[in-house]
Amino acid sequence: MKRHLLLAGFGLAGLAIGVPAEAQDKRGLVWDNRPSIVFGEDINIDLRGRVQLDWRRFDPDVAEDTFDLKTLRFSLRGELTRHFDWEIEREIDRAADDLDDAVEKWQLGEWKDVYLNWTTFDAFSVTGGRFKMPFGLEQTTSVSDLDFAYRTGGSLKIAPGRDKGVMAYGELLSGSLIYQAGVFDDDGDNGTLEEFRFPGEGRNIEDLEDVGPSVAVRVVGEIFRRLPVHNRLKGAEFGLAYTTADVPEGLNSLQGEEVWGYNFFDRVYVNGRRQRLGLQFDWSPGPTGFKAEWMQSREERIGQSNRNEDLSDFIGTAWYTSATWIVTGEDKDSDVTPDNPLFGGGIGVVEVGVRYDQLTFESAGKSGPDFANPRADHLTPNTDSTLTFGVNWLPIRWVKVVANGLRQTFDDVNRAPIIGTDRYWSGLLRLQIAF
Amino acid sequence: MSSVTSSVIVALALLVASPAAAQTPDDLFNPDVLQRVELWLNASDWAKLKAAFQENTYYPADVVWNGQTVRNVGIRSRGLGSRSATKPGLRVDFDRYSSGQQFLGLKSFVLDNLTQDFSGIKETVAMRFFTRLGIPAPRETHTRLFVNGQYVGLYALVESVDKTMMGRVFGSIGDNIQNDGYLFEYNYVLGSPWRFTYEGSPLAPYKARFDIKTNESHAESLIWGPIEELVRLVNDTPSGSFEQTIAPRIDLPAFVRYIAAQNFISQNDAFNGYDGMNNFYFYRLENSATHAFIAWDEDNAFLTPDFGITTRLDENVLTRKTLELGNFRSQYFGVLSEAASSAADWMRQEMQRQFDLIHQAMLDDTQKPYSNAEYAAERDRLLAFPAARITFVQCEVSKQTGASRPAGCE
Repeated sequence: MKRHLLLAGFGLAGLAIGVPAEAQDKRGLVWDNRPSIVFGEDINIDLRGRVQLDWRRFDPDVAEDTFDLKTLRFSLRGELTRHFDWEIEREIDRAADDLDDAVEKWQLGEWKDVYLNWTTFDAFSVTGGRFKMPFGLEQTTSVSDLDFAYRTGGSLKIAPGRDKGVMAYGELLSGSLIYQAGVFDDDGDNGTLEEFRFPGEGRNIEDLEDVGPSVAVRVVGEIFRRLPVHNRLKGAEFGLAYTTADVPEGLNSLQGEEVWGYNFFDRVYVNGRRQRLGLQFDWSPGPTGFKAEWMQSREERIGQSNRNEDLSDFIGTAWYTSATWIVTGEDKDSDVTPDNPLFGGGIGVVEVGVRYDQLTFESAGKSGPDFANPRADHLTPNTDSTLTFGVNWLPIRWVKVVANGLRQTFDDVNRAPIIGTDRYWSGLLRLQIAF
Repeated sequence: MSSVTSSVIVALALLVASPAAAQTPDDLFNPDVLQRVELWLNASDWAKLKAAFQENTYYPADVVWNGQTVRNVGIRSRGLGSRSATKPGLRVDFDRYSSGQQFLGLKSFVLDNLTQDFSGIKETVAMRFFTRLGIPAPRETHTRLFVNGQYVGLYALVESVDKTMMGRVFGSIGDNIQNDGYLFEYNYVLGSPWRFTYEGSPLAPYKARFDIKTNESHAESLIWGPIEELVRLVNDTPSGSFEQTIAPRIDLPAFVRYIAAQNFISQNDAFNGYDGMNNFYFYRLENSATHAFIAWDEDNAFLTPDFGITTRLDENVLTRKTLELGNFRSQYFGVLSEAASSAADWMRQEMQRQFDLIHQAMLDDTQKPYSNAEYAAERDRLLAFPAARITFVQCEVSKQTGASRPAGCE
């Protein structure tokens, strides 16, 4: 852990020193909020990185690690003429078999974003590669730009996340309407299969290995923009998203995993179509921000009963609402930067917020007694409800300190982290360096 | 509708429903009936269970017995040497997916696949014999098992050793059912035979050998501490104070009865087994330091009629030190004589009755790992066992005790 502190310390010092050295000449190797190579107009490569170090406490103690190197990622992002931009991002992990000796066991981890954008026309652009499927406001927000340390359960477990695919997108009506529509290889990182794949007659293992392909569409619009409402309301964004994919037979449903990784609703057997429907709301008047989402997944269970009959759909429902206020007065937008940074005569940005979210898994069928059996028509539902209080401090552009307090409640105490205990408190202090 | 008419309809409904409502575990384990148990589970789950028969993965299923259906139970492969891909031994848990679900007051039962018992009746005869001798033993009978409508084979339907059974065996004191003690299943550790020798004060070795089945959330010191203490005292206590020290911790007369009965049925893989202790449950009574033995898995019984009545009595520390005391040694031979007498007018008839009950089901069982000819040979051998064993035991007991030798002794 001392090594992580040293790493963070060097990062902070480097960034603090880097501020006055920001280059004015936009050619060659420059510092433009981050290291950048500029070949010429519209041709450049940025080096980006982010580190997140978490200190955590739990009550009651659920045997989680109290310290966690949450994220260590580096990426290259650039423009290739005014027609293309691109990104390559990869996680750096510790070796799984030696988590206590983190520094010596770095290894290349999962690829994150790897894509090429064609951006000639605002109204019609195309992205190809691996990137986030267009579903979920919070899920498609960068982890370093979140209002709270962790995404909500729905964003983590219902929203699909990244996948390989091709997506068309664009802005219409002077930018007040954004559309995204893509075809993806599988069904996102959160929709992958886990089941030991047992080949049945006429099938082979390869047939069952992949979910999808999936289709995802999202439309986000400022629907008040052309209406006679208060100016501040005109910037409110409303979104509607939908995904669909075929899921092979098996113990392959989405699952109820809470923020610290405890599985409060095991996967159930599914077979057929998996659909998601999402609604999102985002409004940031001045220094305040209000966000809300509702999303639902429905997975078919064709022929999955104990007697090979169809079962009612497996449903995951999640929603949250959050409010934030930047006490120091900066505008709340996607790139909050301090008006008066710590080394510029101020204290940086201080923001407070509160969020309430729920994630529920259940069956559509409600008749008869309920069971936790993964082939029951009436599944015993379980809900994880979390109230999060947060304070964010950005002393300088690149550094963010996040303090969160979480109060979680599980409806089914038999599937809570400690059987019989339904309420849990946890606290988190995060140091984030992102450039 | 008049109230009189309503009452008549309700009474008729109750009358019609009464046979099912009156069914009890005694009906399920009725040894006079060859039961029919149906399991319905998703075809892919049955295929997976058989393919991964060495794993304890649970699969959901519906159970049908005697016209009653229990939905959403959990089943898994079970057994040690008896595990089979073609005819899996199964554990059926009614409360696996719903904590309150029971069937006839039972939380589970076992479907013993009889793959190691060519006769199909060793286990069931042994348990009935133990019950005759007053030894705690699960109730058992035979069943035809059907999975998804297909006949899978002949199984023994075995009562689970659990809190429900402890309540049945140890009864109640006032309103308090004596089933809240600490129940352990002895775990045979492969390659590490154990004969009650002291393994030191750390609880780990005892935890490895005694799988806790009740009160699992209690502190380890509460669960296994008394076992460590018991083993230490058994090893360290001299003969002079052995009974006084150990009797509060083990029901010694019941223990002697248990090992004598196991010897009588020529059980070679039991408490005084060929590879150390095996095949029993151990129960610390509620609010007590006293432990009792519960019989389990006797399908290797009836090995040979001339199985020595003092076989390996000096190997196991608990057995040896208990039988060093004259009163318990006398009791041991006394129980053997009692067992011989009890078997004389019962065991062969019982074997014949059970063979008659299962015969056709056994012949129809194409999944068993032995042929019908092997079954027939084992049946003949077993039917000859009681008479030969009774004579042998009576003769050997007379040798040991100095009593007059009965007729037929060599």
